[in-house]
Amino acid sequence: MAIPHPRDVQLAVVNWLDERYPFTKAIDEAMYQRVPNFANAFYYCFGGMVFVLIVLQLLTGILLAIYYVPDARGTPQPAAYTSVLFIQNNVYLGWLIRGVHFWGANILILMVLLHMARVYWTGSYRAPRELNWMVGATMLLLILAFALTGYLLPWDTKAYFASEVTIKIMGLPPPPQLGALIKTLVQGGPVVGPPTLQIFFTAHVFLLPALIVLLMYVHFRLIRAHGIAEPL
Amino acid sequence: MSEKDIPREGPGAAVAPPKEVEIIELDGHGGHTLEPEWKRLPIGPDHILYPLLVGIALFPILMGDSGHHLADDMPDDETHPFFPDHFWPYPVIIIVMMITLGLLAAFVQKNLQLESPADPRAVTIPRPDWYFLFLFQFIKLGPELLMAVVIPTGIIIVFLLWPFIDAIAGPRTARRLGWKRWPVPGRNLYSGAGFVIFLVIIALLELWALAGPTACLPWFTGQVCGA
Repeated sequence: MAIPHPRDVQLAVVNWLDERYPFTKAIDEAMYQRVPNFANAFYYCFGGMVFVLIVLQLLTGILLAIYYVPDARGTPQPAAYTSVLFIQNNVYLGWLIRGVHFWGANILILMVLLHMARVYWTGSYRAPRELNWMVGATMLLLILAFALTGYLLPWDTKAYFASEVTIKIMGLPPPPQLGALIKTLVQGGPVVGPPTLQIFFTAHVFLLPALIVLLMYVHFRLIRAHGIAEPL
Repeated sequence: MSEKDIPREGPGAAVAPPKEVEIIELDGHGGHTLEPEWKRLPIGPDHILYPLLVGIALFPILMGDSGHHLADDMPDDETHPFFPDHFWPYPVIIIVMMITLGLLAAFVQKNLQLESPADPRAVTIPRPDWYFLFLFQFIKLGPELLMAVVIPTGIIIVFLLWPFIDAIAGPRTARRLGWKRWPVPGRNLYSGAGFVIFLVIIALLELWALAGPTACLPWFTGQVCGA
């Protein structure tokens, strides 16, 4: 029996798919659909750059999570702290992955701000895109929440006291009982300690990524439905 | 088990009846002008690079059917095809971004170095990262509750609901000013200038904080210093 040429195998697979779904037609339409010329301006790229950076953050975050230990117990050097040191100094290319994650987060915030400034300036939030603006604005808040929760994870002095200030601000809303409740819930106890790290880690690694992936999906569905907004 | 006891239909059917493969038709995509065959890349379903095209196209396919877009009503000379004309900058951007991040990670290590392990007994004045620095400085300018909770929450609510505020209050303001229409912020004296003023305030707060704890200025509540 003759071995089929890889090209024939590929064609057979495509044909098989085409019989079940208009596969090649869908690809043609996706690849060759027309895009307005004004969308070639450099500032229309900011949204795409945000997407690339979010994907990069998710990938580098997964790699960091392999070695990171979210445990703030133990003195003088808790496991959370030593695990970050281990990533930085011992893991092969760990310094690079951590550096890319850190700088990626900074550039991501910058790019989101630039993207939103572009959307605002060109009036792309106007009807029928109001919902997409709200989704995008919520994503900006989520990205700031990512930055806030990620800041505590190295569990060094700087991270500890910065998070303490943030949690203190969260506990300000009146009445005092409500503020105290919010503070206790975020801290996981009366003071910033190991439970706080556990809560921040859970939010940073499970809750926020799930929310941002969901919102990104909604954002792209709406962009796909509405198309690129004309600069008015 | 006799022959007649064998279930013929439903889940777990021992002998599934032959089914016809249903062919799902996509919507008509009325109005979309696709590239003519002669203008397309010579990458057909049997080409070795076809899986690459599939990979690129999977994203919009997964994102659902596109609606009637602006480009559908524009003449061809005012539009261009997504691939390769609109797509090519993105791989370049990704490569440039990766190189930039790699260089930052390699040469700007200062921000990545850890301080001593967290110790609640230590005495330190925290200084947040640049994206929260303006807020950190803003909080110093008045009562904590007002500056840290009430005003930022108000700004976030306005920010989230901005399209509706613009759509409702904008035309009313335009009528009062005798304008025919309410332009977008890029061409609007009020919403455009408001945005620029907001950015200038943030930049000034940021610079003030960056100037350090010795950069003190008189304020209504007394001397306020940078971070």
